[in-house]
Amino acid sequence: MMKHWILISFLLVFFTSLATAETLTEDQLQVRVKEVAKTLRCAVCQSESVWESNAELAIQMRDIIRERLSQGQSPDEIRAYFVSRYGDFILLQPRAFVGMNWLLWGGPFLLLIVGGTFLFRTLRKWVAQTAPSPPEELSPIDERGRRRIEQELRSLESDK
Amino acid sequence: MKEMAETKPPAAGIRGWQIALLAVILGLIILFYKGLWGNPSYIPPVLVGTAAPEITAPDLYQPKEVSLSQFRGKVVVLNFWASWCQECKLEHQNLLAIQKRFAQNPNFVLLGVNYQDKEDLAREYLQEHGNNFEHIRDVKGRISIDYGVYGVPETFVIDQNGMIRHKQIGPIIGETYTFLVERMIEPLLNGTATAS
Repeated sequence: MMKHWILISFLLVFFTSLATAETLTEDQLQVRVKEVAKTLRCAVCQSESVWESNAELAIQMRDIIRERLSQGQSPDEIRAYFVSRYGDFILLQPRAFVGMNWLLWGGPFLLLIVGGTFLFRTLRKWVAQTAPSPPEELSPIDERGRRRIEQELRSLESDK
Repeated sequence: MKEMAETKPPAAGIRGWQIALLAVILGLIILFYKGLWGNPSYIPPVLVGTAAPEITAPDLYQPKEVSLSQFRGKVVVLNFWASWCQECKLEHQNLLAIQKRFAQNPNFVLLGVNYQDKEDLAREYLQEHGNNFEHIRDVKGRISIDYGVYGVPETFVIDQNGMIRHKQIGPIIGETYTFLVERMIEPLLNGTATAS
């Protein structure tokens, strides 16, 4: 009789721990589904992720994510599957170096460099053109001018 | 005067930069313009030119499974539709006309895929609007996701080698109908289609 009780207790503990283990796995799975679903765009609701949306398509996509995670696929493999079906559009954060995406990421920096260089060159040229010439570069006064000045000075003195 | 004539004109050095900067700004404006005025819900098709994903799904009327591979060697027109879809009603008579037009050709198959719908409603819809081709049910949405479908109606033309040759988003009406029949299906059936 005692043996039976021991066996029953053992089985109870065993199945209870199994059930707990399954719950934990389910929780972990849910966390991983959320991680992947939050990076995917709901194709029918534009500004929501697959995780946030309640659209039928988003629910079906979450089921696929769950199924593929259970099969042992990595988040990247699952994302690659959706990209192969819907293109980069399905990713909430576009990949940086795929197709013309580099222009989106690098464009502003490129523009900053080009614009900055242009501005620097233009300003440097502008400053060089408008700065007063050094005295040695002034053209010497010619004979006619010198005579004119002397004449003006003389007339000033005579006026006094 | 001689010195002045020999010096480079002040604008000549900048001109190259001006053109480059103008080109970059113009390029960005075009990109923004395209982005702003394009349809935000339009997803560019990425499956055209690739092998059509395999389909295995229950028939809408008969207790049997239908698979795409059983139609290998034929031109398959795959039409995703639903009874709640208003635009599907617009194209329905044209789909019936397509089936009627090519029904005698043993190398042509028109297959309807019922999308996010209830079985009885789908049957009611076909009873009301008429039906002359086979339909399967996309029970869990796996087929539509496999084909990158995000709304109905959407139609795919699959060639004899199982390659997707065309994806039509929206109803097959007007010029779209003419294009699909005369520029896609007929050339594929006649063997005069050009590789896409």
